[in-house]
Amino acid sequence: MTAVALGLRLGRWGIAGFSVLAFVSSLVQALGFYQLAGHTPEQRAAFAQSMARLASQLTLILPPPTRLDTVGGYVEWRSFGGLALVFAVWALVSASGAARGDEERGLVESVLAAGFPRFAWIASRVAGFAVASLIAALAGGLGLVAGAATAGESVGLLPILEVAAALAALGLSCYSVTLLIAQLASARIATAAAGAVLLVLFFANTLSRTFTWLSSWRQLSPFHYYELNQPLAPGGEFHERATLTLVGIAIVAAAAAAVLFESRDLGSPALTLPVRPRPVSYEPSRSPMWRIAFVRGLYERRVGLAMWAAGLAAVGAVFVSLTKTIIQPLLSIPALTHFFGGFVGGQLYTSFLGYFWLSFAQLLFAGFAIAQVARWSAEDGDGRLELMLSTPQSRSAVVVERALVLTLGALVIAAVSEVAVLVASHYQAMDVSTQKVTEASLLLVPFALVFAAAGSVLAAWNPRAAVGLLGALAFASYLLAEVGPIFKWPDWVQDLSAFKLFGMPLSSGLDRSGLAIMLAIIVVGFGASILVMERRDVGA
Amino acid sequence: MAVAAIRTSKLSKDYGLGRGLFELDLEVSPREVFGYLGPNGAGKTTTIRCLMGLIRPTGGAAYIFGLDCRRDSVAVKRKVGYLPGDMPQFGSLRGKEVVAYLGGMRGGVDPTAVRDIAERFDLDLSRRFREYSTGNKRKLGILLAFMHRPDLLILDEPTSGLDPLNQQQFYSLLREARDAGAAAFLSSHILSEVEHICDRVGILRAGRLVNVAQLEELHHIRAHRVELEFAPGTPVPEDAIRSAAGVDNVSVEGQRVSCTVRGSFGPLFEAIRNAKVTDLVSTEPSLEEIFLSYYSEAAPGQKALPQ
Repeated sequence: MTAVALGLRLGRWGIAGFSVLAFVSSLVQALGFYQLAGHTPEQRAAFAQSMARLASQLTLILPPPTRLDTVGGYVEWRSFGGLALVFAVWALVSASGAARGDEERGLVESVLAAGFPRFAWIASRVAGFAVASLIAALAGGLGLVAGAATAGESVGLLPILEVAAALAALGLSCYSVTLLIAQLASARIATAAAGAVLLVLFFANTLSRTFTWLSSWRQLSPFHYYELNQPLAPGGEFHERATLTLVGIAIVAAAAAAVLFESRDLGSPALTLPVRPRPVSYEPSRSPMWRIAFVRGLYERRVGLAMWAAGLAAVGAVFVSLTKTIIQPLLSIPALTHFFGGFVGGQLYTSFLGYFWLSFAQLLFAGFAIAQVARWSAEDGDGRLELMLSTPQSRSAVVVERALVLTLGALVIAAVSEVAVLVASHYQAMDVSTQKVTEASLLLVPFALVFAAAGSVLAAWNPRAAVGLLGALAFASYLLAEVGPIFKWPDWVQDLSAFKLFGMPLSSGLDRSGLAIMLAIIVVGFGASILVMERRDVGA
Repeated sequence: MAVAAIRTSKLSKDYGLGRGLFELDLEVSPREVFGYLGPNGAGKTTTIRCLMGLIRPTGGAAYIFGLDCRRDSVAVKRKVGYLPGDMPQFGSLRGKEVVAYLGGMRGGVDPTAVRDIAERFDLDLSRRFREYSTGNKRKLGILLAFMHRPDLLILDEPTSGLDPLNQQQFYSLLREARDAGAAAFLSSHILSEVEHICDRVGILRAGRLVNVAQLEELHHIRAHRVELEFAPGTPVPEDAIRSAAGVDNVSVEGQRVSCTVRGSFGPLFEAIRNAKVTDLVSTEPSLEEIFLSYYSEAAPGQKALPQ
C-alpha cells in the first residue's frame, strides 16, 4: 500500500495533467457538438453524415464512429478515440520511468534494500498506474457530463463508468507491455523499444481497417479491444470480454515483467548480448565533429535523429500508400473525378496527401520539439548545463547552439521524410508536385521551431515545469485549431495556434503571413529565452 | 603586485531564512592552494557557484584574476578548471566522448594531458558514462577540470567517492599543478584532507567566514576522539588525563576512558605513560562535531582561533 501511495505521489503531476487534458478534451468536443450539430433530428442526421465522411479519412488515428448524431457518439469518437493514443503515451512514459528511470535514480535500490520484494514492487507500480489512469479516464467522462449539461442534456452514470473502465484498462495494458519490454531492453533503449512496439500495435489495428491482410494481426493489439467498446453511443455496448481481455493482457504482461525482474541484475536487462572484450583506452575521441559548434550537438544525437528520420520516413511512406488506397475507389466514380479535379485544382493526390500526411507530420514534429525541450530541461536538472557553462561559453551561445541543433535536426528529418514520400508516391504512380511537397516539408521546420522557441523560454524560466507546460501549450494550440473554426473565433485568436499558422500548404499553397508570424514567434521566443537565461541562477 | 587569483568583496547570496552566503571577503593568491572548510549547508557550494558565475550574488562582487565573475564570465572560464560537487549525468556517452564534447566547447585541450591524467587514475575512457562507478565518475570530473592546464582550479569536494589510492593520486596532481603555477580553491568538510594539500584555509559556518588560517593554526582546531581501555584491576590515571593539555570531554566508565584530544597527542601519552593500556582507538570526528564542540554556541565570527 505504501508503494502504491509512493507511485501515486511520484506520478501526481501526470495524474493531474492527464485528468485535466481528458476533461478538457471531452468538454470541448461536447460543446463543439452542440455548436455544429444543430437541434432538430434532421440537422443532426445531416451533421452525422458529414462527420462520417470526415471519419472515413481519419481511420488511421481514430476508430470508426457510431451514432454521430448524438453527443455521446460524437464525444466517444472525437475525444475518447484520441485519448486512447494519449493514454498509451502516458503509459509508455510512466512505465519506462518506473522500470528503468527509477532504477537509474537509485530509488529501486533503496526500496529493495528496505526489504520490499521485487514482485511486490512491480505489482504496486501497476496498481498505482491503474488507479491513476482510472482517475484520468473518469475526468474525461466528467468532461462529457459537464458539456452535455450546458445543453440541458444528461448522460447516464453507467456509460461514463464503462468508458472510463475501458480507457483505464487500455492504459494499464500499455503500461504492463512497456514494463515487460523495459525488463528485456537496456535502460538506454527501453523507452524507444517499448514505444516502437506500442506504435506497431497501434498501426496494426488502425491500418487493418484499410489493409485487410492485417486483420488477423489486430487481435494482438490492445487498441483493437478498446475500440470494441462503445458505451457512450445510444445502442452501443460495453464489451465486457474485450475489457477483460485488456485487463488480462495487463496482468499477464505485468506477471512476466515481475518474473524477469526477479531474475535480472539491477541496472542490467534480462537479455544481454555477449560483449566483445575491449582494450582499455585512455584516449579522448578524435572525431572532429566534437570540435565544431552545433555540429557536436547533432553528432551527439545522431542515433536519436536517425530513429526520428527513419520513423517519419516509414510513416510517410505508409501515408502515401493509404492515400492511394482511399482515393482510388473514389476516382472510379466519374462524377467524383470531375468534382475532385475542380475542387483541388487538378492536384488531387498532392492535396489529399497534404491532408493525411501533413496533419500527422505536424503532430510528430511538435513531438520532436517537445522531446528536445525535455532534453534541455534534463541538462539543467542533472548538472550538464552547469558543466557546459564552466567552459568559455556564454549563456546566449548555449541557447543559440540549441536552436541551431534543433533547426538542423528538424531539417534532416523533414528532408528524409520528404524523400520517402516522393519515392513512395513515384512507386505508387501518384502524380504529386515535388515543389509543393518540398515547400510543405520545409515549412515543418519553422513549425517545430515555434514549439521549441516557447519551450526554450519555459526551460530557461523553470526547467522542471517546462515539458509539462509545453505539452499543455501544444495541446491547447491543437485544440484551438480544432475548435476555433467551430466556434467562429476571430482570426487573430485562431492565429495563436501554430497548427493554424502552418495552414494547408499542399492544397492552399504557402500561407506567407502564417510563416511570417511563425518566424516572428521563433525570433522573439529564443530572444526572450536568452534574456531569461542570462538572469537566472543555474544549479541552485 | 600580482593580481589575486580570487578576490571577493562583501559577496552575498541571500536565500532567505538565514540561508546563503553573507558578506564574504576573501583573497586567494596565485600559486596558492586554498582550502574552504565548512559543515554541510555552510555555503561552500554557493560561494563556488558565485565564483563560476552560475548564480547571481545578491550583494558584493567576485573577481578572478581581476575579471568580474559575472560580467566577464566567458573570459574568467578560460582561466578556470571546474569540478562540481555532483557529477552530471552523461548517460550513454562514452568517457572519451564526454572529454571530446566538453573539450570541444572549451578548445585548446591537449590530448596528451588527457591521456596522462586518464592513465594516472586508470580511467578507461572507452566505457560508457552510465557504466562508470561513483569513483570513476569523479575521476572523469577531475580529468575535465585539469585537462586544459588552467591557471585556477575550483574544485567542490574533489575527493568524495575516491578510494585512498586515488585520493593520493589527486593530491600529487594538485601539487604538480601548483608547482606549474596554478592556484586552487577547493572545498571540503574533511579536515585531514585540507591539511594534506592546502597552504591556507578559510572556515565557513552558516554562510559567514569564521576565520582564515595558516595550516599550522589548523592543528589547534583539529580534534580526535580517543577511546582508551586499561587492564583490569590496574589504576586508571583519571586526574592525569583530565589535566593533560588539549584533552577535553573526559568520561570514565570503569576501565574505559573516552576523551577529545585537540592538537598534539604528547600530553595524553605522557599522562598514561605508567598505566597498562590494553586498547586505544582514535577517530577523527566529522567537521560538524568539531564545529559543535569548538565553536559551540558562539556567534559566527566571535570566537577566534587560539594563537
